[in-house]
Amino acid sequence: MPDATGRERLLTVALPTGTAVAFLAVWQAVATLWAIPAVILPAPSDIVRQLVGSWGELLYQASFTGAEALAACVLSGIVGILVAAMLASSTPLREMLYPNLVAFQLIPKIALAPLFVIWLGIDAPSRLAFSTFISFFPVAIGTLTGLQSTNPNAIRLCQSLTASPSQIFRHVQVPYALPFFFSGMKVAATLSVIGIVVGEFISSKHGLGSYILLAGSRAETARIFAALVVLCVIGLALYGAIAWLELRVRRAWRG
Amino acid sequence: MAAIRWRAWRPIVLPLLFAGALLLAWQELTGWLAVSPMLLVPPSAIWSVLVQAWPVLLAQSWPTLVNSVVGFLLASGLGIALGGALVVSRRVEQAFWPHVLIFQLIPKVAVAPLFIIWLGMGPTSRLAFAVFLSFFPIAVSAATGFRAADPTALRLCRSLTATTWQTFLRVRVPYAIPHIFAGLKVGVTVAIIGVVIGEFVTAQEGLGYIIMFASSAAQTALVFATIALLCGIGLLLYGAVALGEWFVRRWYGAPISAGGFE
Amino acid sequence: MLSLSEPALPGECIRAEKAWKIYDTAKGPVEAVAGVSFSVRRGEFVAILGPSGCGKSTLLMMCGGLEAITAGRISVDGAPIACPRTSIGVMFQESTLLPWKSVLDNVMFPIELLHRPRREHMARARELLSLVGLSGFESHKPHQLSGGMRQRAAICRALVYDPDILLMDEPFSALDAITRDEMNDALLDIWTRYTKTALFVTHSIREAVYLADRVLVMNRRPATIVADIAIPIPRPRDPSVGETKLFNELCSTLRGMIEHSHRAARDVTPYA
Ligand SMILES: Nc1ncnc2c1ncn2[C@@H]1O[C@H](COP(=O)(O)OP(=O)(O)OP(=O)(O)O)[C@@H](O)[C@H]1O
Ligand SMILES: [Mg+2]
Repeated sequence: MPDATGRERLLTVALPTGTAVAFLAVWQAVATLWAIPAVILPAPSDIVRQLVGSWGELLYQASFTGAEALAACVLSGIVGILVAAMLASSTPLREMLYPNLVAFQLIPKIALAPLFVIWLGIDAPSRLAFSTFISFFPVAIGTLTGLQSTNPNAIRLCQSLTASPSQIFRHVQVPYALPFFFSGMKVAATLSVIGIVVGEFISSKHGLGSYILLAGSRAETARIFAALVVLCVIGLALYGAIAWLELRVRRAWRG
Repeated sequence: MAAIRWRAWRPIVLPLLFAGALLLAWQELTGWLAVSPMLLVPPSAIWSVLVQAWPVLLAQSWPTLVNSVVGFLLASGLGIALGGALVVSRRVEQAFWPHVLIFQLIPKVAVAPLFIIWLGMGPTSRLAFAVFLSFFPIAVSAATGFRAADPTALRLCRSLTATTWQTFLRVRVPYAIPHIFAGLKVGVTVAIIGVVIGEFVTAQEGLGYIIMFASSAAQTALVFATIALLCGIGLLLYGAVALGEWFVRRWYGAPISAGGFE
Repeated sequence: MLSLSEPALPGECIRAEKAWKIYDTAKGPVEAVAGVSFSVRRGEFVAILGPSGCGKSTLLMMCGGLEAITAGRISVDGAPIACPRTSIGVMFQESTLLPWKSVLDNVMFPIELLHRPRREHMARARELLSLVGLSGFESHKPHQLSGGMRQRAAICRALVYDPDILLMDEPFSALDAITRDEMNDALLDIWTRYTKTALFVTHSIREAVYLADRVLVMNRRPATIVADIAIPIPRPRDPSVGETKLFNELCSTLRGMIEHSHRAARDVTPYA
């Protein structure tokens, strides 16, 4: 009987891996057996070949996208914290700004990308600004929610111990807000990559976004897929970095 | 008396006041500082362009609106169906849930050129891309919702020898409704984003195309006017989903709080 | 008058023979029920009494077919139980009312699921609700009721489709002492009227003695029944029996047994 749990644990790893492998196998079989043109659907083996073949080029392009996405993610973290701190510190300010910010969140902000090109040109600062613009919001809302969700009894306890406001902030409010901040950051990590790629779509001369667009216009489908694989790795790596950071910070705060 | 009324109105009046003040400052400062109309145009100029170019803008907003709505509806159907399928069996869930989650995390917009290769430059590829983008948030929240049912309520159903289907319809679905609508609200915005990005990339028709065209021709006022229209569409569709949620909740006849159980 | 079925034939209704339950957890197997045997006669009210975590809920859920039996057997009405049956009604620790349904719709929920005729059961549901003092609250939502009112609605729901056996898992443990006494009286009232077979889990000694014909005392480690005590207090019972000498003697006997088994368990596993 105790084997059942071991089996369960094995299945949680084996089943998803199995479906992924099966999917790739079917893809490979369909692409080769039906002789589907590589323009429509390259086989996974073609994609791997492409990935290996143009490795240097891909890495070069990825360095732009990756660096800019990372910078945008960090920036949106900073901007998000600043906005949240501002809104948390003053009730009238919060009442004035918060509903406008929320309404702003409901519109398709991606459509503003060309404006950033008009304002800041086609270089990295333009993309950084745009990407930060679309990704700081979840951080701001998350952090604000966290700062406001602090248990009022914990604050009252600190006050009864004659703690100073900065002590209360450090010992109570920050620990309460951290999980909220990080869940906002995880969304921002995904959004910042999206922001950079959309920016590269419409303006840039380098980066994976423009590389994909160029390959698309030449109908080099295998190249698109290879670039997509690299892009996914960037996205997951950024997300993983945030998750790892969260673990470290939380552990550090708990002592 | 007056104080009480002010306190009740404050949360509505203050934000509106702020937005109005912002518009006014924008209007006055652009004139005062003589900002180049290439960079920033005052709201009044945006308005006049909006009025002037109205026939064109209306004609171009039609494909954007239709593709967004149809794409969103298709994605909702597919997403809720997949979310339901995922909770049918534990094994299915184990097999597919991690993939859905990973897809949530990767930058899916980059796939746009593939859709052009597969489906051409026409509206079909933009529609398909919108479905593809908005499908994932809906599926994830639907699956989360279907699993949010109170375990003792499920146990009650078992003790009453309810069938899987009965349990699904009468307990899992009502518990899932708040989650599903949370996903739909995200999905509807994402569907518009999908269509607009498609229009950016294919440059054939739609408001996204107008924005690209106008920005490359340095017609900043037209860019702003089109963005304003697009924002209007975004708020409209979001409002429609929120209204739908209100109706469904009223039909089920209770204030359902996510996960709440009495 | 309500058209619930008359008490069925006398005889054995529930029988457990060396029933075991072992849960597989990440930290290894947990022995929740260790070879329990007992039987309940038709129309009898039996309470299962034991400390928290000793396996009472698990045992009850096994009797209802809601939890698989690892070894041994439990039969209900002569047939081994493998899955839930409509002849068994279950009441849970929480009222488990569906928050989006009105009180009446919640009580009618089993009728809906079982496709029973709606009209006549509607009348029955209303009568049950008035019996527990909830008439006038039919269209209220659960969140508009107090905890005790919710549990009363849950009793009605368990009775509306007329099961022969009621399994109750600490149905009143979340209530305050005063409401709890009220609920006990309401339950006794209903039970004497329709004489269902009842298996009632509790960790309150007084509640067990007040309600039951027999009390089964459960132990924690090993999780098994250590005593089977008859409660010879005549029925109908009312709150005044709580002051009688017999009642208090029975209570202190049971308390002694639980403390004894507790101490024994602690000696075997010194704070594992
Ligand atoms: N699903 C489960 N998986 C693993 N272990 C379980 C499970 N359910 C119960 N247990 C374990 O089985 C033992 C008995 O649990 P059970 O719920 O039957 O106790 P109980 O007597 O009803 O307690 P209480 O009075 O607190 O309700 C406990 O040690 C518990 O940890
Ligand atoms: Mg229990």
